[in-house]
Order: sequence, then structure tokens, then C-alpha cells
Amino acid sequence: MSTPATNFNEREFVICQIARLVEDKYIYWVGGGGEPLSSVLLAKRFNAPNLQYLTEDGVVGPEAIVPFDPLMTMVSSKANYRALQWSTMNYAADLAQLGYVDVGVLATLQVDRYGNINSTVIGKYEGGEGRRFGGPGGADSIAALTWRTILVTDQQKRKFVERVDFISSPGFLDGPGSREKHGLPPNSGPWRVYTPWAQYGYRSDCQLELQAIAPYVTVQDVLNEMSFKPHIADKIGTLEVPTEEELLVLRTQIDVAGQVSDRGRWIEFKDGKYQFA
Amino acid sequence: MRILEEGKGDYLKVDPDGYRAYIRDHKPHQMVSKLTTEKDAVERLVKDGDYLAYDCNYYTRGPASLLREIMRQKKRNLWLCGKYTYVDCAMMVDAGCADKIDIGFIGFGPWISRSVRENKCKIYEYSNAIMTLRLKAGAMGIPFIPARSFGGTDGFLRSGCKVVEDPYTRQPVVLLPALNPDCAIIHVHQADEYGNSRVFGTGITHQECALASKRVIVSAEEIVTTDEIRRDPGRTSIPHFAVDAVVHAPFGAYPGTVQGMYASDPAGVVEAMGAMYRGDFSDYLKKHVYSVASHEEYLQKVVGIEKLIEMKRREGIKEGYAI
Repeated sequence: MSTPATNFNEREFVICQIARLVEDKYIYWVGGGGEPLSSVLLAKRFNAPNLQYLTEDGVVGPEAIVPFDPLMTMVSSKANYRALQWSTMNYAADLAQLGYVDVGVLATLQVDRYGNINSTVIGKYEGGEGRRFGGPGGADSIAALTWRTILVTDQQKRKFVERVDFISSPGFLDGPGSREKHGLPPNSGPWRVYTPWAQYGYRSDCQLELQAIAPYVTVQDVLNEMSFKPHIADKIGTLEVPTEEELLVLRTQIDVAGQVSDRGRWIEFKDGKYQFA
Repeated sequence: MRILEEGKGDYLKVDPDGYRAYIRDHKPHQMVSKLTTEKDAVERLVKDGDYLAYDCNYYTRGPASLLREIMRQKKRNLWLCGKYTYVDCAMMVDAGCADKIDIGFIGFGPWISRSVRENKCKIYEYSNAIMTLRLKAGAMGIPFIPARSFGGTDGFLRSGCKVVEDPYTRQPVVLLPALNPDCAIIHVHQADEYGNSRVFGTGITHQECALASKRVIVSAEEIVTTDEIRRDPGRTSIPHFAVDAVVHAPFGAYPGTVQGMYASDPAGVVEAMGAMYRGDFSDYLKKHVYSVASHEEYLQKVVGIEKLIEMKRREGIKEGYAI
């Protein structure tokens, strides 16, 4: 039984979208905490009770206890609780390099038409002129080595750019054949991008395609928050809002402290439609 | 082998023969006791200009007490292996100890761009696993290791990596230069006086780090007997001959956690994080590093017993750690 929710925020919306894609038959590599981890943990309570995911510190299939203490997303007992295996970083990367990891789930700062990911610098890299961020961390391995990736970011003009300021982790680089040319495994790469407003996929030319939108925005709203015009699917779908059941679990069992979802605008069902509160 | 593409970054010279000879001539092949203090270990084994690797970070089973000792002794011109870090690189640069970083992941904040602009620090771009693979090659005694990641990134262009035509498959493959740090500092759950060490739970790259590095300091929560090590040899993560000094450092990862032993101190974590976001560690360093002469004094005077008891109490999960 599921009841569409009438009050939720953008962050909760996007976590539910990704959670619904998660399946028991795949192995996931989840980058850091945030939306990626909340999404898979939510899926474990519903559609993927036997969820298996890895994190960078070589933990295989944990049953994490949330919430974590601040910044304790890895190499900590709650994050790694009741795993199938404990190992180290090279092992996690080896598993993905071998082809065991079906899907990578990542959050990012900036993404471009080809799904390239920037988590290093906004603005000019050389000379320390731009605004600097942490670097790829584990995202490069996830983006290069898993069979396909789900990326989550915000729907903002500065996040969707024609070309990222710095390729920290590879998408399709310059297009078809480009990953292979640079030594990355074939038939792998970006698969979906989610924002609180929209779902994107990729066409065979390796370029981003807008596929579906949230019921509280229009296609034009979404395009207004992109620095380039993506492909647009012939038929644009409407993403389903979170259910009351999903929100209950998310709020009371997963993001109890509101560390992940306590950001973003609120949406309410009013006058027969979903709109920003 | 045909080179198809090359990064332009500096990297620590690759010299597997030199490292092999170093191991023959300088590593402690015989079982000898290496128990000492942070002060002595850092004085003898960390040298200005060293390439320094440390396993995990200031928040999770990292060698925090050794990092503080390095800052206290004002070591200079270190080149840091910045895989999976948070505040540590920022702190070491701000303390004037480090001026080069190989980056996998570092803590955000204005300090990075400012250090680069002011020429205080040079940065080379990698990813976490590319750095741990470089250490793996260093720990295998080989000059390089191939990988199927990192190619095509802007980090690659600023690194010491290359894309070559693989002589077996004829496909392009990325090669990473092996890394043999001058010094590694590693915090473990248990060690005996010779350096046989046990890490419980997950880790980043403690074993590779220890085997790849010329000088290795292990700090341990508990010093156990060699009989205890022999009782369960499958749990030995690092063998004694890779280790040059053993420091008994209870709560050595403070403010971070050691899985199965104690939880982190969230206030201590946030305090260091705040200094990084502000881009100014001076107050933090004054209080947490320079105000005391040793880790023992730090725990007594700055941290306090109440906090330590609370951290122990909050680590309720023991399964799998067998301590």
C-alpha cells in the first residue's frame, strides 16, 4: 500500500527517486554519505531487502546503523556494521575493476553534457584562482570502473555546464570511444542523473537527455536551470512523489538527524497540484 | 611500450632497486624491541623534506598523536600522501610542515587555493584509489602498476601517470608510478614491542603503506605480547620487520574513532573542521599541539578523562573487533 505524500522537500524527493531504482540483483558502490547512502538505505527497507553495497574502505554489504557521528561515513563501526566482508581500499577498487560492481551512486558539484564530473575546482584551476573543493576521492574509481553510474546533483545553472571546469572523474569524456581511448573499461559509464527537479539519461551519442520531471516544475523551469540545452526525450515522464511510507522510514530510521534532507525547498499538494510551499 | 599520453606532474622518484637495497641495509630484519615515545620516534624517523604517508585520517583510526608530534617538532617541507583525508593536510600546511600534497581527497576550504596562490604549497592531483594503488606497487617492489581508471581526467594531466599501449592486449592502459614514501605513520589497534601489528575492521591501506615506506612508525592503542600475536597469526596486518618504531598511544586517534574501541568526539571533530573552514588553524594548533609536550599530557590537560570515558562508552559495537 502506498499513499502519495502531500508535504515533502526537494531532497527527500530525490532520495526516493534513486531508492526506487535500487535492486537486490546488483552490487552498488556508494560514494560517501549524503543522498547516495540515504537512497540505498531507504531501498533496503522497501524494494531491496538484500541490498549489497561497497564503500571505499573495502566494506562489503554492511547493514549500517544510522545516523553516523559527524563525518564517520567510513572506517567506523556504525557504517560498517554486520558486513559480509571487511577489507581495504585497493580491494574495493579491485572489485569494481573486475566488473563486480554494477552501479555506482555519486553526488557531485558540477556535471556536463557528457556526464563528466567535477569535484575539484569551480573556476580556473591554475594558480589557485578558482574555488577549490576536495578532489575526486573515490568518485574517480566509481565513475571509471562500475558498469553504470547514477549521479545526484542540484538543478542549478552553475551545476549543469557545457564543459566542467575540471574533469575530476570521467563521464563519457569527449563522446563515443573516448573512455576506451584513455584506458577505461568499455561499455561502462554514466547512466542517470537525478536532481530534485528532473531525471536525465544518455543517448547513444553519449550526451545528456532530459527524460522526466517532477510534478512541481515544467520542462522550461528545468531548462532555465541549465547552462546548455540537453537532448529532450520525445515523451517527458512525470516522476512520482515520495509516499507517506517512504517518508516515515526516511525521517524516523535513516535521516533521523536531518543531516541529509534538511535542505532544499518544501513542496505541498494544494489546489489539486504539487507546488513549492 | 608506446606512450600514448603523459601527465605533467612531478612525482616521487621511482627506484625499486634502491628501495630493495635500503630494505636489505636498513630495515630491522631481526626481532628487536622498538618501543619508544612519540617524541623520540618523530625526532629520529621523520626528516625535513620527507615524503610522508599516513593511513586513514585525523578522524578515523588515524595517527593523530603522531601528526600532532610532527607539528610540535615543526618538521618542514613534507610531501604528503593526501588520500582519504579531511583536515590533516590543511592542518599540516597551516602549521608550516608540508608544502607538497598528492591529493586523493582533502578537506574543503579557502586554505587550498590560498596556499597555492601564495606558493606555500604545490598540489598534484590523483584519486584515493590511485594513491593506494601507487602504494601497492611500492609495496610489491615493482616500478609501476596498471589501472583501468583515472585516464581522461584533468587530474591525470597534472599527475605522474601515463597511458600506454598495453603490450598484451594492444589496448590503452593507464600506468601509475610506484610510490615508496620516506616515512609512514600508522595507528593500529594492537602491536607487540617488535612491531607485529593488528588492525581490526576496514582500513584504507595500512599494509601497503607499511611495506612501501622506508621508515615506519606504528602507534598502537594496546601493546600486546608476542605470544598473543602468535595465538592468532591470521590477524597480523603488519609484520615486525616493516616497522622501525612502536609507540604506545592510547586514544592515539583522538578526536577520531578507533572502530571497536572508542567512538569519535564529535565536538573535537567539529572544532578541527571549523578551523579548516575558516582557513586558520592558529588557535587550534596553540590549544591542541603547542600547549603540551606529549600525547599523554594532551590527554590529561586538554582532552580530559571524562571525554575519554564518554568516547569508550559510546562505542557500543564490539562484534568483529575481538579486542
